[in-house]
Amino acid sequence: MSAVKVLVLSLAAAAGAFAHVGSPDVFFQGKAGPYPVLVSIRPPDVIPGIAHVQVRALAAGVQKVELAPTPMTGEASKHPPVADVAERTPGDPNGFEGAVWLMGFGSWEVHVRVSGPAGAGELAVPVPAIATKASAMQSGTGYFLFGMMLFLSVGLVAMVGAAVREARLEPGVAAPAWDRQAVLWMSFAAVVVTALLWFGKNWWADDAATYARRLYKPLGASASVDGAGHMELRLTDPGWMAMRKLDDLAPDHGHLMHLFLIRWPAMDQVFHLHPDQMATGYFGQDLPEVSAGQYRIYADIVHENGLAETAVGEVALPDVSGKPLSGDDAGGAAIPTGNSFALPDGYRMVWRHDPADKVTSKKLLLFRFAIEDAEGRPAGDLEPYMGMGGHAEFVKCDGSVFAHVHPTGSVPMASVNVASPEAMMAMHQMEVGPEVSFPYGIPTPGDYRIFVQMKRAGKVLTGAFDLTVK
Amino acid sequence: MTANGLLPRSREEGIPWFVWLAVVGVTSAMIGVHWDISWHRSIGRDTFWTPAHIAIQLCGVIAGITCGYLILRTTFSRSEMRDVSVQVLGFRGPLGAFITAWGGFTMITSAPFDDWWHNAYGLDVKILSPPHVVLALGMFGVEIGALVLIAARMNRASGQAKKRLEYLFFFVAAMILVAALVLVLEFTSRIFLHSAVCYRTVCMMVPVTLLMAAGATGKRWGGTIVAGIYTLFVLGMEWILPLFPAQPKLGPVLHETTQFVPNGFPLLILVPALAMDLARPFLAGWNKWLQALVQGPLFLVTFLAVEWPFGSFLQTPAARNAIFGSNYFEYWASPRSYAMQYVFIPFEKTPAEFWTNMALALLAAVLACRIGLARGEWLSRVRR
Repeated sequence: MSAVKVLVLSLAAAAGAFAHVGSPDVFFQGKAGPYPVLVSIRPPDVIPGIAHVQVRALAAGVQKVELAPTPMTGEASKHPPVADVAERTPGDPNGFEGAVWLMGFGSWEVHVRVSGPAGAGELAVPVPAIATKASAMQSGTGYFLFGMMLFLSVGLVAMVGAAVREARLEPGVAAPAWDRQAVLWMSFAAVVVTALLWFGKNWWADDAATYARRLYKPLGASASVDGAGHMELRLTDPGWMAMRKLDDLAPDHGHLMHLFLIRWPAMDQVFHLHPDQMATGYFGQDLPEVSAGQYRIYADIVHENGLAETAVGEVALPDVSGKPLSGDDAGGAAIPTGNSFALPDGYRMVWRHDPADKVTSKKLLLFRFAIEDAEGRPAGDLEPYMGMGGHAEFVKCDGSVFAHVHPTGSVPMASVNVASPEAMMAMHQMEVGPEVSFPYGIPTPGDYRIFVQMKRAGKVLTGAFDLTVK
Repeated sequence: MTANGLLPRSREEGIPWFVWLAVVGVTSAMIGVHWDISWHRSIGRDTFWTPAHIAIQLCGVIAGITCGYLILRTTFSRSEMRDVSVQVLGFRGPLGAFITAWGGFTMITSAPFDDWWHNAYGLDVKILSPPHVVLALGMFGVEIGALVLIAARMNRASGQAKKRLEYLFFFVAAMILVAALVLVLEFTSRIFLHSAVCYRTVCMMVPVTLLMAAGATGKRWGGTIVAGIYTLFVLGMEWILPLFPAQPKLGPVLHETTQFVPNGFPLLILVPALAMDLARPFLAGWNKWLQALVQGPLFLVTFLAVEWPFGSFLQTPAARNAIFGSNYFEYWASPRSYAMQYVFIPFEKTPAEFWTNMALALLAAVLACRIGLARGEWLSRVRR
């Protein structure tokens, strides 16, 4: 390969790119003391706002679930409010649901306390409190408020006229047809009302501008590759809140960055790499063998306060002979072939999914995968891959959704480590296989590709599957 | 109608139902406002349907429906009310009914505006936002409307009926004072009592209502009565609210609260009100600007003379009890805060800033007195 620097494009990512792209809901599977639970949280679009929480007990007998939110770090994290008792989900004996208020920006956690015959246990689920949307006013509300504004303004001026013209007349005395004083006062009132409306409009505009400045602006990622196949990747901050820094990254599964390169738009090549940090915001990676093409960059990082972000970009790569994949780096060609994906040595990765089952958006599902040998026997030698039974990436074909999911859900392990180090320890002690399941809810309808990475016999294996979501 | 243009005496002697309803609405709103602020300081989390919010919105609903009906009835029936009505946009009714209805509709309009605001920009973290100001304007509208409604009736009445209407007038004026001082609560709490900004704020808000009430009724102790009702109302809230249990539902909870946190001991405006009432007979017949030039400084000096040392007292252990309430803190109060350390906030950073604010307080007091005198005179002459 020639020693040519490749020009790179930075992509303006879709809103909602913190910890995944276009996939704001949080899914988490863990244990609250003796009780295994599946927690899903829908964060609010605006902050302060209300997050909706669903807890599903995976064992019978849970009697009570309580929910309390706190910031994940700092003094405030030590002073939770009184917990709310979650209500039982109608029609689901093991389901509970409730709402919690996230009052400030940043990295929060929801404390889930579960009580039952085996006593009580608690679990902390990280949830980002980030404003992602500026709501426009519905036209009906807009017309109503505008109409009322006109009516009340005109009414006020008319009342001033009546006050001057008639209010001091004795009962029964007719008001004069023309009252100069009344007209003067009405004119004055009209000026005052107009000035007040103008002041109100500017105040509103100021508040809206302040809010817009707080709307989440995702990190960008730009990259260049030299002739030796070494890629330099730079995180670019478009300017958001001062709390976001790039010198506070926490290792997630032992790596400061999980970099996904996906050839676009075919999505036929995928790489899960772990660049080294060279300086604040700068990362370096020796590429493996890569076929030329346009690649999308999804770079997962976690800040030390537990807030996770996905930086998004794009890079045009030439053919790279590269170095053999090593360590936790994995990837290569990944073209789906139905529910079964052929692996080396006669093995295959299988998605335990009936194609006749329709998958609908926003519904929490367990995506189950297994590795089988040529005779269909489950592989008995699966190993943890970076402490997990597997890693799955859900990517929407139009690029608007990217989610990096574990068997514990969509929460990065570094965030879990900040929220609940004991839970993190327990997760890394979990045994693997023969089947791995990923709890996740697809955010929007459309065509998706799922990349699944599992490890057996010392090798990380990548499979690909297609899914259409209604 | 009688030969002198007044309605038959029997019709004018009672206090009509719509006046009572307007007073109920005003009272409901003021209880609701104090309750709501206490709710936010104690529990934190709320919905549109908290009892405090319902008490506030009830004011708008009562005012809107009552006065809307009164206006429609006066406009479309041959009611004797037509003789004591004014015309607004083709409708007829007492002026106070129009203002009250305007306030009620403004309050009701603020509800969908506020709801949308929360959806667009997040839940409330501050008192002053555009939809809240619309709500406050509506509340003031209802209060001023009720005041005009009563004033017109009072000015046409005599004997016992006039007396009863005067007390209702004082009560509504006191509720206006309560509302005005709630708006500036953030500058008049215990830790601000040695800052000039507190006195500047109070001078902008209080003398208007005191002189207006006295002027409108012509009563010797009009301002004192209004200040007294304000004091009793706020004392009632201060002493009653903590009797009810409450727990914070929002974090971080830096201070454990187990009951509703009241909004602070009333300001000692009773003393300057008394001083102004004492001075009024000596100023009768003077030019109104000259009266204001005397009453304004009198208000500021007498208020300073009592509130400044009382502020010092509120910081002492002797005030940390259920009577004076210096021991109550909102759930987010940090142990390092001025309030919890019983220290005055150094709002003005330099003596120059302090004295500038004091000078502005003096100016505000004079202007407020002048406006109060004008409004009092106008209200004393309103007939319909």
